[in-house]
Amino acid sequence: MDRRKFIKQSTFLSIGGLFIPSVFFNSCRKESLFEDINYDGKVIIIGAGAAGLYAAYLLKSKGIEFQLLEANTSYGGRLAKLEGFADFPIDLGAQWLHGKNSILGDLITKSDTKISLDDSAEKYWFNNQLIDKLPKDVNSIFLKEENVPDVSFKDYATQEGFSTDYQYIVENIAGDSGASASSISAYWKMKEEENWVSGDDDFKFQETYFDFIDQQIASAVNDKIILNTVVKKIDYSQDGISVTDTNNTTYLADKVIVTVPISILKSNDIQFVPTLPTEKTDAFSKIGMGAGMKVFLKFSNKFFDENIIGGSVCAAYADESIGKLTNQNVLLAFIMGDQAEYLTALGSDVAITNALLQELDLMYGGQATASFISSHVQNWTTNPYVKGAYSYSTVDMGDARKIAAQSINKKIYFAGEAMNINGHHQTVHGAVETGYREVIKILNDIVK
Amino acid sequence: MRKILLFSFMLFTCMGSSAQEFKVDVSYAYLYSSQLDKAIQTYNFTRPILTEKQPLLTNGLNTSASYIFRNDKHFKHGINFSYAYFRSWAENKKFSNQLNLHVANLGYLLHYENPEKCKGFYSDLIVSATSSLVYRALNEEPFVYDETLSKAFGIGGNVQLKFGYSFQLKNRCYLSPFLSFSYTPYLFSPNNEAVINQTKGLVCRNWTEILTAQFGLTFQVKK
Repeated sequence: MDRRKFIKQSTFLSIGGLFIPSVFFNSCRKESLFEDINYDGKVIIIGAGAAGLYAAYLLKSKGIEFQLLEANTSYGGRLAKLEGFADFPIDLGAQWLHGKNSILGDLITKSDTKISLDDSAEKYWFNNQLIDKLPKDVNSIFLKEENVPDVSFKDYATQEGFSTDYQYIVENIAGDSGASASSISAYWKMKEEENWVSGDDDFKFQETYFDFIDQQIASAVNDKIILNTVVKKIDYSQDGISVTDTNNTTYLADKVIVTVPISILKSNDIQFVPTLPTEKTDAFSKIGMGAGMKVFLKFSNKFFDENIIGGSVCAAYADESIGKLTNQNVLLAFIMGDQAEYLTALGSDVAITNALLQELDLMYGGQATASFISSHVQNWTTNPYVKGAYSYSTVDMGDARKIAAQSINKKIYFAGEAMNINGHHQTVHGAVETGYREVIKILNDIVK
Repeated sequence: MRKILLFSFMLFTCMGSSAQEFKVDVSYAYLYSSQLDKAIQTYNFTRPILTEKQPLLTNGLNTSASYIFRNDKHFKHGINFSYAYFRSWAENKKFSNQLNLHVANLGYLLHYENPEKCKGFYSDLIVSATSSLVYRALNEEPFVYDETLSKAFGIGGNVQLKFGYSFQLKNRCYLSPFLSFSYTPYLFSPNNEAVINQTKGLVCRNWTEILTAQFGLTFQVKK
């Protein structure tokens, strides 16, 4: 063979050889999970919040039969909206998108949903005056990644030298996690968020978070949602699973995804037959769920700052109209933990509103009461199917979330923000992740 | 980074002074990594709204340069640098998602040839340190959140076996088609999943292994 011929043949062989392995191997490698899945069983999803809705959405995309049972009068879980209070719709539940590096960030981009970065300025109510900057930066101690003890936020702040002057500043930091400073663990909070990758920026929806989930996810599955269905019993002792509601209606399924708030599981509102393993119920009890409420106050004048941190009645006020198309003045009181329990104990929405106005009057020289128009109280703690804000990490919590999230006998699966074990608990996108995680688990169990 | 580049440059210059051969090659690279596959498969499964699925990171281009600086009877030693680029691109309406994987290796090369028995045939064993970078572009722009690029660095080790046949073009210049296989048993890259599927610890391990097959041409200059 002469050189010219060899070069020619080598070139042809090279070009041909490029494609042989890729064609062969690519035929073995699928672009997506479960491309050829075929399952004729039925899945019941208990709870039509973000996790349940997304699980349903995926099951529908794979052509798998499912039914969503929702205890409340509307779907969305801790996503809900209020119309008519102001000239813009208000999020009664979750309202901030925490970082855009998430599956919901992708859906927002794809759907061209309007969001805006919430970079509003903070003022602190400290030693009975409003100031721009605290004498000592208390936030930094909660951003540490090592040498954090397994004690409460309150004890940790004390250990780090922050006096009681900082009490309600620390309450605000704990409140972001839906808890009181005396309940939440500094160590486990830090430990559980090691895998947080969605980003630290907070975004607000021009419409509402509820609208976004409704339009992009719920609208695809809402014909399969049965509202006002309070599940009281799940019997998985036989081959199939029977789910019974408080009207004694029974629903049959092959798999069940339980997405109810952790508070419902902690208080045994659903009876499991046979009973769940002790390890699992212990895990439920170790996951915290604090009281939480949002109060919206409408004023004729904008006398307040964008964020007011450190009140003794409410540790976090935020200007609700930021990021919205409005000229109206609505202030959100974001109340968590002990403060929410205290206000709930006042017994009426009027009493709650008055307590908040009194605090704002103190901060702004009586301007709150003078320009007050109306209020709306959304108390998530008194909702019998929610019973609180969202899950938080308790002292000595260990692997409770991991154990709680384990499936039972390839029949009962657990999703919801409290079951998120990859750092995104307490968030809507974290709930969505558990929804798809459990669908993947179910399909893996079927394939096996 | 500047120190590493300076060191590499000085090393290559020193070695070049006693180099016997200089080789440059370009090849098609086929990549397989179970963990990268898993992250992309999960991404595709969980986003049914995206009708155009994200292809797996499979096809890429590789280029490498080698200095062979010590001559034995059949064995020669040298240093090798290689760089490979893989891309996965899916175009959906208002959502054009691109994943880019860059892999660079720097390592030791052992070259073997026995002209008495197999004239023209040679084999290379390359043991190298590997570094990788995965980043995402969305709608033709680098995906940035919290004012930083969504990216994941990786570091690990690599072993590569290369078989080729060289023939003389003219004077000291040679050309050789080659086939090579490389294995990266451990590439520590904890944020790959965060870039691809926007989660961490949900789908993948913090490390992955990578298999690569390459087919290409080497241009060689011998002293």
